[in-house]
Amino acid sequence: MGLPKIKIADLDAETLWNDGHRTIDVAASDTTVLWDSSHHEHDAISTRTFGFWLYMLSDAMILAALFTAYAVLRHNYAGAPTAAQIVHPGYAFRETLLVFSSVLAFGLTMSALKQGSRAGVINGIVVSFLIGAAFLGMEFHEFSGLISQGITPERSGFLSVYYAIVLVHGLHMVFGLLWMAVMVVQIMRQGFTDNVVYRLLNLKIFWQFQAVIWVCVFTVVYL
Amino acid sequence: MPHSQRNPLEHPEVQLAKTGNYLIGFLLATLLMAASLLIVTHHLLPPDGREIMILVIALVAVVAQLRLLFRLDWSATQRWHTVALALIVPLFVMLIGLSLWMFHSLDAHMLGHGLGAAM
Repeated sequence: MGLPKIKIADLDAETLWNDGHRTIDVAASDTTVLWDSSHHEHDAISTRTFGFWLYMLSDAMILAALFTAYAVLRHNYAGAPTAAQIVHPGYAFRETLLVFSSVLAFGLTMSALKQGSRAGVINGIVVSFLIGAAFLGMEFHEFSGLISQGITPERSGFLSVYYAIVLVHGLHMVFGLLWMAVMVVQIMRQGFTDNVVYRLLNLKIFWQFQAVIWVCVFTVVYL
Repeated sequence: MPHSQRNPLEHPEVQLAKTGNYLIGFLLATLLMAASLLIVTHHLLPPDGREIMILVIALVAVVAQLRLLFRLDWSATQRWHTVALALIVPLFVMLIGLSLWMFHSLDAHMLGHGLGAAM
């Protein structure tokens, strides 16, 4: 694999814009182009999943900071209701089952993707979506109950951080559901192109990550 | 945008998907969380032991999920993912540990109130 020979005169702006990723066939000469990716080891999909993984790790850092804040503030009740009064482990366990089931459904979606089954993938995403939505329904129920009793986040340090952790996780779930809906549309329109596949892989990473976060939320906050 | 004419479904990360692993991961995580729940609600351990135990269980659950769901290992496909995770662990430890130490020290220097004082 020698170094590619480049003739500057061949690389006009329009060629680069249209075809920067491919080998440019310039008549019968042996000039090649800078970014001939067939000679490279990494591919577009791995690059994107690795980048997304790094992003998720940074997200984990933010969540670690939130959990630390929880550890610091967990006993700052300021006369408002305490953890024992508002936290229901049994209810949270049912929420846990929903999160895990949704992630399992998505895992099965990825198995369907491996088989190349479009219907399997779409069905899997829909099931995962519905279970995830059910989880959000349970959280909505829990928090609307709290608010209707006047147990609002600004009343104490503990309440602030409790709301913060659970709702940040909930927001992540919301975005995940939105992403799932978009992917269903994209699969229906494009099929399994490079773009759709890497986005599904990233969504898998994202969704499984929610289960990991929830393990921590359940253990630290609800138990 | 295809750089090659290969079918994206043949990409190693797509091929990593394994139904068996996902099922086991689900069962394991659920059982571990159930164990934590029982320990807490039925007071199966003294208070201090309880807290440590559920944290240990959570750690085990997270590692299990990382291995079974994320398929993190040293294979060529996943190697860099695992390396990135390994590099971030010390940062986690420092972030959480030092922050906790900061606030603990702060409280120790305060008159009257400490961590956990209900006002």
